[in-house]
Amino acid sequence: MIYLYAIAEGLDGLPEVLGVDGAPLVHGSAAGLDLVLSEHAAGELDASEEAVLAHARVVEALVARSAALLPARFGRGFRDPDALREAIEGRAASLREALAQVRGCVEVGVRVLRPEPAPPPAAESGRAYMEARLAHTEEARELHEPLAALARAATRTVGATPRLLLSGAYLVEPGELDAFRSRVSELEAAHPELTFVTTGPWPPYSFAPGGET
Amino acid sequence: MSTVPERPLEQQITLLELVDRVLNKGVTLTGDITLSVADVDLVYVGLRVLLTTVSTMERLAAE
Repeated sequence: MIYLYAIAEGLDGLPEVLGVDGAPLVHGSAAGLDLVLSEHAAGELDASEEAVLAHARVVEALVARSAALLPARFGRGFRDPDALREAIEGRAASLREALAQVRGCVEVGVRVLRPEPAPPPAAESGRAYMEARLAHTEEARELHEPLAALARAATRTVGATPRLLLSGAYLVEPGELDAFRSRVSELEAAHPELTFVTTGPWPPYSFAPGGET
Repeated sequence: MSTVPERPLEQQITLLELVDRVLNKGVTLTGDITLSVADVDLVYVGLRVLLTTVSTMERLAAE
């Protein structure tokens, strides 16, 4: 089985880290794109926290060695090199487009939590429920848009849990990171009741095609 | 398993964000196969990190 870590452009050699299960990394290519892989006997791989972290470490180590990089989702393999090559060739155009978008950028995550879960919408009317939902969406939008304005691209999830007002991912140029963090601080100061958690810079996991969930 | 709650708060939040990205984002391609024994374990790993970290974030928010 072929295990895939990332698809890259301009990969300058492999980093000295091992893959999942301690497997050595392999530099492959298809459709003119660099692929970072490891080879395993069928059914050999176990999913574990350690394997997840090994995958993440490989991706992290590749960032500095490539002109542009799209992390692969954890836990996906291909039966053989042909299956992988066909999969890449079938998506080459959208992969190239995504690589162009993330080139030179890092991902920053921002989560915003309410102090208390949003009060359950009044049961007596559908209209009150809709108004509560709209207010929630509007509040998230007011936080998301000023951040998205500083990013090349942005994605967000609204209200995944009652306390999670916003979960956003922002594709930011390194030169804009300070401005981005300042804007988060401004929003924080303007909304003292909310808790902001900023993480990153990350490899651009949230801006890789197929990463829609 | 008991080591997870002992991790410092920031590290836990970072771990949650990391696991969320590695498991739920990233490129998927037609024709790929999910690790055969992975499904149950993956849910378990993700859930375990998620649960400990959500409670951490909520504690943080309450401070």
